[in-house]
Amino acid sequence: MNGAVGVVQMISNISDAAWLVNNATAGPYMAVVNTALFLDVIDLFMFMPNNVAGILVYQNGTARPKTFSQESTCPNEVSSDPVSQCPSSSGMSWNMGGTGLLRRNIPFPIFYLPQTRIEEIDKINNCFQRYNLDRANQNGKPLCSIQLKSRIVSLFRCFCLNTMHAHYPERYNLDRAYQNGRPLCSIQLKSFMFAAVNSEVCLRRSTTSALLTPTKVCDPLGDQNVYFSLFPRGKEILKNKPITLVTARIDTASLFDGLAPGAASSVVGMVTLLMSAVTLTKMMPVSDSHLYDSNVVWNLFNGETFDYIGSQRVAYEMKFGSWPSFAPLDSSDVKLHIELGQIGGSLNLYSENTSWPLYAYAADSYTPVTEFLNEMLMNAKQFNMTLLPVFTKNLPPSSLHSFRRILKNETENGELPEVLLVDYKDTFTNSYYESVFDDADNIGFVYRNISVGPDGQFVPTSDLLANGTMREWDVQVKISRLATALALTMYQRVAGKPYAADIAASAHLADEMLYCFLRSQACRLLLAADYATSAVEVPTASAPPLYVGVAALSNTPAIFAGHLLVLLAGTQLSLNKTACDSLDKPGFSYYWLRGWNHTGVCMQTTMNFTQAVSPAFLLQDYDMSSGMYSTWTESVWAAMWARVFVSGGGGGARVAACAGAAATLAAALLTYWLSKHADVLFKQPADSIVNDAASGRKNKFRRAARIGRVQRTALLKRANLKRY
Amino acid sequence: MTLAEFFSCSLLAFGAPLAMFALTIANDPVRIIIMIAAAFAWLLSFLVSSLVWFTVVPLRSHLAFGMVFAVIIQEAFRYGTYRLLRKTEAGLKEISENHNLSSNKMEMAYVSGLGFGTMSGAFALVNVLADSVGPGTLGLYSGTEFFFVTSAAMTLCMILLNTFWSIIFFSGLDDKNYLKVTWVIGSHFLVSGLSLLNRNQWYAATILPSYLVLLATAVIAFRSAGGTTKGLMQTLAARS
Repeated sequence: MNGAVGVVQMISNISDAAWLVNNATAGPYMAVVNTALFLDVIDLFMFMPNNVAGILVYQNGTARPKTFSQESTCPNEVSSDPVSQCPSSSGMSWNMGGTGLLRRNIPFPIFYLPQTRIEEIDKINNCFQRYNLDRANQNGKPLCSIQLKSRIVSLFRCFCLNTMHAHYPERYNLDRAYQNGRPLCSIQLKSFMFAAVNSEVCLRRSTTSALLTPTKVCDPLGDQNVYFSLFPRGKEILKNKPITLVTARIDTASLFDGLAPGAASSVVGMVTLLMSAVTLTKMMPVSDSHLYDSNVVWNLFNGETFDYIGSQRVAYEMKFGSWPSFAPLDSSDVKLHIELGQIGGSLNLYSENTSWPLYAYAADSYTPVTEFLNEMLMNAKQFNMTLLPVFTKNLPPSSLHSFRRILKNETENGELPEVLLVDYKDTFTNSYYESVFDDADNIGFVYRNISVGPDGQFVPTSDLLANGTMREWDVQVKISRLATALALTMYQRVAGKPYAADIAASAHLADEMLYCFLRSQACRLLLAADYATSAVEVPTASAPPLYVGVAALSNTPAIFAGHLLVLLAGTQLSLNKTACDSLDKPGFSYYWLRGWNHTGVCMQTTMNFTQAVSPAFLLQDYDMSSGMYSTWTESVWAAMWARVFVSGGGGGARVAACAGAAATLAAALLTYWLSKHADVLFKQPADSIVNDAASGRKNKFRRAARIGRVQRTALLKRANLKRY
Repeated sequence: MTLAEFFSCSLLAFGAPLAMFALTIANDPVRIIIMIAAAFAWLLSFLVSSLVWFTVVPLRSHLAFGMVFAVIIQEAFRYGTYRLLRKTEAGLKEISENHNLSSNKMEMAYVSGLGFGTMSGAFALVNVLADSVGPGTLGLYSGTEFFFVTSAAMTLCMILLNTFWSIIFFSGLDDKNYLKVTWVIGSHFLVSGLSLLNRNQWYAATILPSYLVLLATAVIAFRSAGGTTKGLMQTLAARS
């Protein structure tokens, strides 16, 4: 309950770490290590954790480590299609730099201090290196000095200190050989998790209640998936058209609470999907839905980081024909499934360069797959983008694995036409996969802050390029072009003919969206997409953490994405709030949003949320050890904090113990001796018998003999009193 | 490491008083009653002192002001204890088992002094001890790790001083020897004043004179209780 306490050791190279685990004597230690070195030393600490109380990782300067990922080398390995292999036969893993800490039992706490809090590290370093010098300065006297002015004091100090050790060292923590028994700068890290053990145990414990007080020790992970269809679908709409399913993921993770930026891991894919959906709705308005015989469903999965929670739930419900609940579709309705995987990793590699090589992974070359690839290739080519098809059973980590595992035997012939768009081949281009460094800088995003027109008019990409606001190789331009290419391909699939007009995704919109998800939740788009309430609550100006969180609380990223679809891809109706709220047309939902003028707008949309909670928690008799579905839970935890202090060397304690024992023994002996010899020692004056201390059992007998005298004295005393 | 500090400091401050209690007081109920009564008297004195401190708002932050009043009020309560014990002496004798209670006027002084001192010691050190449990100790920016030891040593000194002061005080009042009473009050002021130096971390400047005063007070108490050099010599000679 007190947290981990350890002596500070700044780790500046690997030998420091080796010394710490092998030779250090005053342990346990709190290793303070920068991110660049973390990867090199963590294995050593994990291997020999006995002398390690905890690790404080800090980011120093803007220089980043070569790789930094706490995900395993084969993310979500156990939930992958059994056909796929990781590491592959060539020895390549998807996430080569991954330490896997996210999936391992770490025997000590690890805290992270970002660059913005570097002054804390300076304090610790100061304490580590020089506090002793400071102490001497503050006392204003050189130690063990022979200056006459303060001689007594100094001598006493010298005496005290010399009883403990021969020198009064200048730097305790630095003087490694003599660390034992000296005051040392220490850190306490507190991160208390309730007795969760594992999901099975903690869920059982959470259902029991001790003495009528319900105890909750963990919650299942989960949130909401975001569903959006090009044309309305529903139970009431009789003819359900065949579907092209386009998906991406929302969430990411990192080892540290509240820091899950996930730019390359998930945001680029999600933003591309959102923009593509918005663009396609503009190309094919809902009012034209009767003209077409097929439909597109866009879906954002949540909780994918933790063994594909969102996609497992969708695939599971699809298997029983119950997803989405308001308009169930059969797995055979899905003619093609396109997943936008991790596509942000190579953006930084191709900064200042217009090319952005993408790869399309497919397990089988079914007709819809090859058709899509051909069309997509054509559309990408007009933007100078390359798309290389890769046919392999060895699919990269993506939601496709869930569908392949759960729906394999459901469709006719076991056919699952699936394509995965990524920006890497064989191994991730993103070296910060699911880590704190997977932020805006990792994809080279620079916010342009261009004002949005009164009715949500975004400046077209061509204008931005023409007036020099953006350049061909900017992230925003690349993403908007990919979104346009995808929207064009979808148009072709639905309409059966190439698109002829000039609607395209705007790099300006990409700029705003990326800003919302990577820099600040208090952005124009999200302000306009929020519910129109009387009080405007401006969220904090920081990126929303994309960690999925527990199912009991809904997290912001899914809501943001959903509302953006409502605002940007919905149909605006000129109605007031009451009229808007009373609308109930099948296949649609209605939202009263703030709008661009902040006056409130009524939006009609097909967007909806579905639950992203693993099927494992729905099934009554699910075997937690079967590994069929994700069973991640989050332990209930107490607030985390850390503090730095100097822990005593034990000198004071030793002096106190010696002096205390001596004083007690002396007092006992003296008292005993005095009481034993009280008779002789204390010659009673005539008017008083004094017995400082006496009444041991032995004395009693002697006392009995003296009683006569005592009584006489008492009488005498009474006489005295009267005299007074 | 810090838990060791806690126990060591407790031992240093309360070990000696505990030994004295165990050997001389524990097996006589009446003495225990006297000791508890004296401890209660000290508590009352502390209550009054804190009321004074609380009432005089502008001087709250001045430690010396509160100290002066605390010393005066403590000595007043010591006098009150003296009056009380002298009044109840006969009654206590009646209920006492071995009926030798009245034989030792100074014994009652000793017992009440120990009670007085122990309670004052407990109040002086409990907060410090609670902090000493850990996890850290003093000294990130300033302060020495000998703060706890010093506090414990000072507490022990005050407990013993209170014991001896009571003996001298009671004997002084009995004999109308006001020099003794003056010594008690004077040395109380002196030692308390010295402890003010602790805030500058001049621990040696506090502890060494305090223990010198303790030594002097012990000798005076020994004499007040009827002890003589001759008797001491006799006992030592008898032993050898």
